[in-house]
Amino acid sequence: MMQRYDILIQEIECIDDYLGPTFRAIYDGQEHQKFMEKLDDCIKNHDKDIERMCNHHYQGFIDSIRELLQVRSQAQQLNTEILELDKHITATSTKVIEMGEELVKARKVESNMAAAVNSLTVCLPVLAAYAKLQKQLKDKRYYPALKTLEQLEHHDLPRVTNYRFSFQITQQIPQLRENIKDASMSDLRDFLENIRKYSPKIGEVAMRHTAEQLAVEAEIIGRKKRRSHINNQLNESEEELSAQDLMDFSPVYRCMHIYTVLREEENFYYRQQRKQQARLVLQPPINMHESTVGYQTYLHGIIGFFVIEDHILNTGNGLATRTYLDELWDMTLSTIVDALRTHSAYCTDATLILKVKNLIMLFNTTLRNYGYSVGQLWDLLQEIRVHYNEVLMKHWVQVFRNILDEDNFLPIQVTTQTEYDEILNLFPYHDKDLQKAEFPKKFPFSDMVPKVYQQVKEFIYACLKFSEDLNFTQTEIDEMICKSTNLLLTRTFSGCLSSLFRKPSLALLQVVQIIINTGYLEKSTKYLEEFVTNITGTCHQGQLSCVGVESAMFRVARDDAEKQICDKLKKKLDEFLELENYDWNLAEPQGHASGFITDLIAFLQSTFTCFTNLPDEVAQVACKSACSHIAKAILDILISEDVKQISMGALQQVNLDTIQCEQFAASEPVVGLPEGTLLQYFLQLRQLLDLFMSWDWPTYFHDYGHECNKYNLVTPNMAVLLLEKLKESDKKTMFSVLKKSERDKKKLLETVLKQLRQLAQTTQQQ
Amino acid sequence: MAKTYDYLFKLLLIGDSGVGKTCVLFRFSEDAFNTTFISTIGIDFKIRTIELDGKKIKLQIWDTAGQERFRTITTAYYRGAMGIMLVYDVTNDKSFENIKNWIRNIEENASADVEKMLLGNKCELTDKRQVTKERGEQLAVEYGIKFMETSAKSSINVEEAFYTLARDIKAKMEKKLEASNPPKGGGHQLKASEPQRKPPSWLARCTIL
Repeated sequence: MMQRYDILIQEIECIDDYLGPTFRAIYDGQEHQKFMEKLDDCIKNHDKDIERMCNHHYQGFIDSIRELLQVRSQAQQLNTEILELDKHITATSTKVIEMGEELVKARKVESNMAAAVNSLTVCLPVLAAYAKLQKQLKDKRYYPALKTLEQLEHHDLPRVTNYRFSFQITQQIPQLRENIKDASMSDLRDFLENIRKYSPKIGEVAMRHTAEQLAVEAEIIGRKKRRSHINNQLNESEEELSAQDLMDFSPVYRCMHIYTVLREEENFYYRQQRKQQARLVLQPPINMHESTVGYQTYLHGIIGFFVIEDHILNTGNGLATRTYLDELWDMTLSTIVDALRTHSAYCTDATLILKVKNLIMLFNTTLRNYGYSVGQLWDLLQEIRVHYNEVLMKHWVQVFRNILDEDNFLPIQVTTQTEYDEILNLFPYHDKDLQKAEFPKKFPFSDMVPKVYQQVKEFIYACLKFSEDLNFTQTEIDEMICKSTNLLLTRTFSGCLSSLFRKPSLALLQVVQIIINTGYLEKSTKYLEEFVTNITGTCHQGQLSCVGVESAMFRVARDDAEKQICDKLKKKLDEFLELENYDWNLAEPQGHASGFITDLIAFLQSTFTCFTNLPDEVAQVACKSACSHIAKAILDILISEDVKQISMGALQQVNLDTIQCEQFAASEPVVGLPEGTLLQYFLQLRQLLDLFMSWDWPTYFHDYGHECNKYNLVTPNMAVLLLEKLKESDKKTMFSVLKKSERDKKKLLETVLKQLRQLAQTTQQQ
Repeated sequence: MAKTYDYLFKLLLIGDSGVGKTCVLFRFSEDAFNTTFISTIGIDFKIRTIELDGKKIKLQIWDTAGQERFRTITTAYYRGAMGIMLVYDVTNDKSFENIKNWIRNIEENASADVEKMLLGNKCELTDKRQVTKERGEQLAVEYGIKFMETSAKSSINVEEAFYTLARDIKAKMEKKLEASNPPKGGGHQLKASEPQRKPPSWLARCTIL
């Protein structure tokens, strides 16, 4: 038993958790008191152990406490220290961390930068190329720009495809290319526009150069020494730019280059534009014919145009081809010729035509020098020359008209040697008698002669002016002058004279003076030929052919004047004849001539007395025509239908008048006519009157048809007419007369009349 | 032939060279004026028909050269003249002074009963006038003839002058006709010594010059 309690206590003491069974065992044992006591004894043993143990460890405990306390303070100190350290460390490490973070960032940036640098290195050439492109575009260096663009497209851009900018650039490329094309085209347009502005200037310069060149050539040939001063001008002008230098052609080349590169055919545009321009250039200014400026502008424009085309042809690498240019030139040439022809035809100013001619010539030479064919223009010059001559003629009509208007048709009278010399200077008149004569001297001709002579010279000179430098042969020139002068005198001068003749104020004797004048002008023809020879500077070749023509020149005027004198004279005679106032019932003649006839004869006498200077043959012609006219007029009166009856007395009066006229005709009113010439004109009238005066009908009928007929000029008709009038008159006075002699007379008259009528009929039938 | 006129008057224009005789005549016959001076050579005439009191009168007006050298020719025409216009130039004193000589000339050469009239031509040239109208009138009164100032250029009094002269001649002739009182419509007798007494008017001045 004792042992069991000990085991339980031991169990209690040893087992911590599972005390239940132990307690049961205890609880189930009936020895609680004993257990309790054993337990108390165990507790008292434990207490005693505890007390002894406590006594044993007390000092150590104290020491430990002390030590512990010490440790505590030390721990506290350590703690503080650690805290402090911690704080310190924290402070330090924050910075470090910060730095570290920064470092990380920096590292990142660094690597980014490296990456960026790499990228940029790749992109930069592209951008640089792009920038270059832009700059080139800006500088209008389109061709390099195009090259750059190509490089950019095929070389640079593929490397940097994954950038937006590269994408954009890629997208822009066609646009840029288009822009370049447009820009170069617009440059070309500007050029084309400019070229229009400059081409007249170019043309002008080209023409001036030609003129200078011609002058130099002329000088070399030595033909025109007077132009030696041109040297100075030449030096100056050499400093001037040549025609091509005036114009910047680069846009054309550029544009062409670009289109070549782009493999696009753009000649077409240029040519088309230039063709249009040509059309514009070829449109002459509306009032071109008014002044040389108009012609100058026009021709300069054309020359400029073709000089440029020539330049383009030579330098433009096929922009302009020979065929194109030839075609253009052909089209142009005909237009120019037309325009010039039309406008020059308007022109009525000879000086202007001359200037135009010189311009055209220069124009021709210039263009020929550039290799254009100008044949048609030379032909045109020929046409203009014809027109020029026409204009000259027109001008000279006025000149001649003025001269004739101003002339008083009185012989020139000079009172001093100076005046005399002046006239001789103007007109070649060599007369020894006049030279010796005392002052005042009197020339046989009037003022118009030296003036007209002078003007003909002027005209010839003006004609020659046009032929200058036209490279005509001498024969052609001679022929032309002859023809023109001939026309001038036969048409223009004669025209002026005939219009002068139409003036009622021109008296008969003025016509006489004109005839004398033309005579002297005619004589001066050979001096005119000399004059031509002198200015053309040729030998007499071809001149001989003129002699025949030229001498005829004043002839026309003279013939006209001679005709005029007859006409004027006739007109005057008609005025007298209108005064005729016969009394056809006159029983007895007055015994003297009628008043109008005496007046007429007196007038004729005094007129022919005044015809002193008239060439004999002219006076003769005039006198003949006067006589013929009077005779015819008297005859006409006798057989006129207006006169119904004529008495014998009246007939005798007419006979008296006729005798008066015959006396005049026989009186040699003008010298040099063979005797009886003038009387011839009265012969018919005389025969008629004689027949009726002598009543010699048997002879008339007997001789009729025979050669030696006394009345060969009296036609039966004429006789019938007059006889009937006599019969009519007889009726009135004699119808109551029954005398036999009268009856016989009447019977005879009837027979004669019958015979005459028969004769008239047979004559008519024959 | 039907008569184209009733009377024929022969008139004569005389005066110094350049006074405008031809112009006066030209104005009267053609109603025109010619500025250019063309001196008359010898003699010329114009005919114009006028009507006075219903009678047709042909005026044959002789224009003489004023120049001395034609004097022999011109004086031959004085005798036949029935009326003479003495013309001077109002701008030329000399031409006026010479009128006296011309009148003497008339007295020597023309028939005594010729009608005369004095004309001062160029009266439009007031600035250049040398002879006053009064002097002209004075002279006309002295000689007992009519006077007018004319201008051929401005057509002043030309017509009037010729009409006046013609009217005076007509009056004088009709008076003479009445005085001689010829038998009307009688046959014409050969009276060579008195040709001017013949009734047909135109015979009145028929003379052998």
